Amino acid sequence: MEGTNNEYEAFQSFKRVGLDPRYVHVNELRRKTVSLEEFSSIFLPGGFSAGDYIRAGVILANRIASSSLNELREFIDTGKPVIGVCNGFQVLCELGFLPGWSYENQREIVLGQNTSNRYECRNTYIRLTSDNMIFKDFFNREQPYLVPVAHAEGKIQIQNKSVNLEKLVDMGQVLFRYSDPEGNFGSYPWNPNGSDHDIAAISNENGNVIGLMPHPERMFYRYRNAEKKIFGETAIGEVFFKAIKQYISKIGY
Amino acid sequence: MSEINHVEPLSETVQLLDADRKKLEQISLDMSLGLSTEEMSMLQNYFLNLGRNPTDVEMQAMAQAWSEHCCYKSSKFYLKKYFSGLEKHDAMLAMEDDAGVVSFDDDYAYVVKMESHNHPSALEPYGGAATGVGGILRDILCMGAQPVGLLDSIYFGEVWNNSIKGKGLHPRFVLNNVVGGIRDYGNRVGIPNIAGSVEFDKCFNNSPLVNAGCIGIVRKDKISRSLISKVGDLLLLVGGRTGRDGIHGVNFASAILTEGSEEKKSVVQLGNPIIKEPLIHAVLEANEDGLIDGMKDLGGGGLSSSVGEICLAGGVSAIVQLDKVLLKEEGMKPWEIWVSESQERMLLAISPENLEKISKIFHNWDIEFSIIGEVVSGTSLVLNYEKEKVLDLDLNFLTSGPVYCRNYELPKKEMLEYVIPPEDLDLKVFLQKFLGAPSNCTRQNILRQYDHTVRGDTVIRPLTGMTNGETHSDASVIKPLEHSMKGLAVTAGSRYDMVAVDPMSGTFGTMTEAYLNVLVTGAKPSSVVDCLNMGNPEEPKIMGQLIQVLESMSEFCTKMELPVVAGNVSLYNQYSGSNIKPVPNIMMVGVMDDVSKAISADFKETGNHIFIIGRESSSLGGSQYLKFRNIDSNTAPWFDMDELKQISEKYREAYSRELILSAHDVSNGGLIQTLLEMSFGFNKGFHIDLSDISDARTLEKIFSEGGERIVVEVKPENREEFIKVFDEVKITEIGKTTSGEINVIDRNITILEGEIKEFKEPWLHGLDNFI
Repeated sequence: MEGTNNEYEAFQSFKRVGLDPRYVHVNELRRKTVSLEEFSSIFLPGGFSAGDYIRAGVILANRIASSSLNELREFIDTGKPVIGVCNGFQVLCELGFLPGWSYENQREIVLGQNTSNRYECRNTYIRLTSDNMIFKDFFNREQPYLVPVAHAEGKIQIQNKSVNLEKLVDMGQVLFRYSDPEGNFGSYPWNPNGSDHDIAAISNENGNVIGLMPHPERMFYRYRNAEKKIFGETAIGEVFFKAIKQYISKIGY
Repeated sequence: MSEINHVEPLSETVQLLDADRKKLEQISLDMSLGLSTEEMSMLQNYFLNLGRNPTDVEMQAMAQAWSEHCCYKSSKFYLKKYFSGLEKHDAMLAMEDDAGVVSFDDDYAYVVKMESHNHPSALEPYGGAATGVGGILRDILCMGAQPVGLLDSIYFGEVWNNSIKGKGLHPRFVLNNVVGGIRDYGNRVGIPNIAGSVEFDKCFNNSPLVNAGCIGIVRKDKISRSLISKVGDLLLLVGGRTGRDGIHGVNFASAILTEGSEEKKSVVQLGNPIIKEPLIHAVLEANEDGLIDGMKDLGGGGLSSSVGEICLAGGVSAIVQLDKVLLKEEGMKPWEIWVSESQERMLLAISPENLEKISKIFHNWDIEFSIIGEVVSGTSLVLNYEKEKVLDLDLNFLTSGPVYCRNYELPKKEMLEYVIPPEDLDLKVFLQKFLGAPSNCTRQNILRQYDHTVRGDTVIRPLTGMTNGETHSDASVIKPLEHSMKGLAVTAGSRYDMVAVDPMSGTFGTMTEAYLNVLVTGAKPSSVVDCLNMGNPEEPKIMGQLIQVLESMSEFCTKMELPVVAGNVSLYNQYSGSNIKPVPNIMMVGVMDDVSKAISADFKETGNHIFIIGRESSSLGGSQYLKFRNIDSNTAPWFDMDELKQISEKYREAYSRELILSAHDVSNGGLIQTLLEMSFGFNKGFHIDLSDISDARTLEKIFSEGGERIVVEVKPENREEFIKVFDEVKITEIGKTTSGEINVIDRNITILEGEIKEFKEPWLHGLDNFI
């Protein structure tokens, strides 16, 4: 919808791993010219849907809810992956699919204004911190992966934190956490927004609804030879999207 | 029963024919036309000839078209004199349409433009800067190109000075709001902000400069022109609605700011990136489907300028129905509709048979549009409002505008050599202060607020090096096409302190730096866009500056085989009698064969050789060193284009053989700042000996900003081959990279010793107190 961006690099990322992506405008859902059923994965890109003037993602979430909430719920129940990055993550939280305990209508997680109180465009590192079925064979849990972030509202704040943070960790829903280049969690600017527990990404209980603030789709390749020597041959985008492709073919869609 | 009341006539007749000089002046003032008495009498003569008085719509339209901003009346003569002889080289469209178009590869071209948005930003910094970004995006879009990168050069006053008096906005407020405007607009449209410059000087205290640039990519067979020639085509106004915001913007932009100008905020347009973002998609989709015959964005002068220019360029005219324009508010008068500069609007010419298809596209993207007129043959432009004809003018007369050949005065050449006080300073302590000054420190506080990685194409970011400890890049590199490894290197900036000292050599310095910024990445510079920001052209001294700037640009481009493909001139940057320093802000773009070989500015390894490519320069004229120490000079260093040409060729050979690991040109802050900035990237230090450079004084060697010099890092195994490649070019080996310590020797004396963090810390925090 208007204000959404990042769709170009997400589209390219799916294509680069050999999938066949298609852009779907929220209007096409409203007009029922597209049905979600025909797809094997949904990616909600970042940006500033409707300008984010009210609260990040809230208007897009409402539009999706009014046109295709049930359809989306059925999609999720089949186990197909639904990924929201940045603004897309905010939308999935608004819709109640993340962390997804009470399913909808209740937001257990809020993405608030960065602690620095400003937009932050920088690179940082993340580590996989869950046995998520999609990513566990592709990411090395000990290894920090370089990834770009770019947002003003990405601070993960868990409601009723004393109970819910433990629950999130126990259920394996803390998918990625921010770290420094050595793999130590925490501290600004590595945790660029001040998120609780340095959380960068979470999933639902089943592990097929993923929300993350960093942008693996923006770093699919490491282009420069000089950079490859320093940061490694393979960039996070390639690992991330190959994992999704593998999972999709495994579940048979 | 109701009756339609005609409360007041829609347009009024202006009593021009019988007006005397005094009355003419009064009319111009009352209607905010911004026309001189001479121009008013030219109009009077024209209408005398027609035998009728003009309508208010006609007078407003003339005032728009004849403003400095739209018709370049002060600069046109000289622009033509110096630029019309330049060759096009790789350019497909140079200075013809809304943006320059340059060949990228066999199938694709890149589209570039940079434009000033100074006057609005002085008054309403947030809105002014935001709409500057919006306007430049439309210039790229209307060529049918996908925007792939934004850049901006911004100039502010003394943000650190708490005792600035007067009614104007404080430079600190202006800084924060300009950055905020660029951030909030640029980030929302999802086009990465990849390059530019930030400068601080007293002369910008009340005259900040905001120059916004954009680059896009288009398939050669899909280039859309800013002209229409098909009679019978429909004119569509697409995107945002038309309102009262931004009325008289161009007249205001062509006038001097004084105390009191602050009240004119309504001339600044309001931007809405959330209309712009889908507008980009919709327009590109329609263009891809071949539905658009001609396209122009609505910027300064609104419909008045756009309709006039797009028709004149194609040798046709139009009938426009003003009541069909979709409005933001009711009760707008015809002339207001015609000259409103409301944002996010595009003018499209399409064949009637494509109307249905294009309607569908805009409907899908939730974009409003209306058919406002029709293309007709002939030369007279007609505007109707409902059934009333409110304008009927000859297009040629309307759009061409007067040309002035204003008086100019070239600066007298007085040789005033600077005198440096005895070298009593502790270099380390001095450098720590110098690097922490707003003019010399990092711009990270600003750069990190701009999204420079969206679209995932940014190969060299504005910041480069270790994550979260980066240094600055010279030019950024993007890879605009998925299927090709070719890249675009982009830079923008000005050596305005040198230009102020000597407009000729300062402009050579500006061009040389832009050239080197692009070259060091490994790209071949292929086009120039200029944004010339000057004071009041009615002062002969200012015209003299403009002429010298144009002359040296022209000479540089001829010699270096570069086309000037687009640009703009912003005059009247004056506040209550004080002019800005002349700022030729140059954007340069280069094409790189293979981005995997792109070279960044950060020292990468320990124990590698450090060379300077290019002859030494020891002149401190126009340098940051002298500025920082408040020492006057009026000589600037000279720049040698023959040497630059040689270096360019050899450097690209070294790039393609991958002999250079990192490279940074010598500019702001001289050799020492160049070396330190390279070391900040990965915290690799340097151990160097300056003795072999020249016999000049140490301070001159380390702080001179002259010459066409590049500092490079070369691995030991590549050293011999590197030397061989540069056999005909002067290179000087000065030392090696270290694991962190810094050590500089000159003639057996250690002049600087320390650790990187001692220099990096002040550099990193120079702007912390201001933004």
